[in-house]
Amino acid sequence: MSHDHHHGHNPPAPMVDEVSDFEALEIAVRELCIEKGLFTADDHRKFTEFAEHIGPTPAARMVAKAWLDPEYRKLCLTDSLTACKAVGVDLLNPTGFGTPSDYTDVRVLEDTPTLHHVVVCTLCSCYPRPILGFQPEWYRTPNYRRRLVRWPRQVLAEFGLVLPSEVEIRVEDSNQKCRFIVMPVRPAGTEGWTEDQLTEIVTRDCLIGVALPKPGMTSNIKLPVHKAAKPAH
Amino acid sequence: MSQHDRTHHAKIATGKGDPQCFKGTTGGPPKFKVGDRVRIKDLPDIFYTRCQVYTRGAVGEVAVITHESPAPEDEAWGHVDHSEWFYIVRFKQKDLWPEYPDAFGNDSLQTEFSERWLELA
Repeated sequence: MSHDHHHGHNPPAPMVDEVSDFEALEIAVRELCIEKGLFTADDHRKFTEFAEHIGPTPAARMVAKAWLDPEYRKLCLTDSLTACKAVGVDLLNPTGFGTPSDYTDVRVLEDTPTLHHVVVCTLCSCYPRPILGFQPEWYRTPNYRRRLVRWPRQVLAEFGLVLPSEVEIRVEDSNQKCRFIVMPVRPAGTEGWTEDQLTEIVTRDCLIGVALPKPGMTSNIKLPVHKAAKPAH
Repeated sequence: MSQHDRTHHAKIATGKGDPQCFKGTTGGPPKFKVGDRVRIKDLPDIFYTRCQVYTRGAVGEVAVITHESPAPEDEAWGHVDHSEWFYIVRFKQKDLWPEYPDAFGNDSLQTEFSERWLELA
């Protein structure tokens, strides 16, 4: 290609990906741990695979089961460790190969028609990872953490959740060793649904408390596809 | 070389969980009970704390007595031989943020403290 030709409007992507300071730090610490024998490279690979496949499904199923079974609902509120086992997560051994990974005092916050919970961690990004997977990016941002405690109604409105003043909004600032999930009220229009159907509408955002479950709103919802304005040839 | 045992927490928590592994380590009952009105002390917090500045001096109500654990201000430095009771305290939003709108006077916020941060109000 001619060097006279200028690409001012559309510079080429860099040839080498930048590695951030934190990525370099992670690699250095990981390699030191492996050299010192704290864990093996194989342990690290297994843990990475575990961390990358966890998601909110166990917590969603917990809520769906609790909606259908009053006894299980009681168990969620009094003995969440046992309740988590019923949806396939052993909090004392979540990876299945002996790596304790998180604090284990999990609490279920039960909504009522006049009380709505929403969870934040103002100090970092505490989150019940074994049953809810990894935090969404916004949950970790200073913007969400600072503003939710002070202006919860405005922040929830930005998520599309506007609640009337009769509903008490209770922010749970998760700052110590307790980890929280929200158990929303079962929505109208789900009468006669199976546990699988109910699990589908309890999305991650419902479990954090920034959304309410609705029939038809699932995490695998089909979004409308708009035609490209300038399609590639 | 450091004599610090970096697997100490993993060892004591395996099979029990953390904070469950500290059950019984305060050696006494909790000082406050559910329903007590408590004020959050404004203690010095040099180096490390998990007591948010926005709660300092505010008055709330003990909602849940959660567990026993070393306080994070100690645990951050590896000092785990002294535990405290932990409490989830419920505040009216109005008591935390004076400008919080009266129209939403029922709104509340809960967060957790170790015993050293609380005094009866």
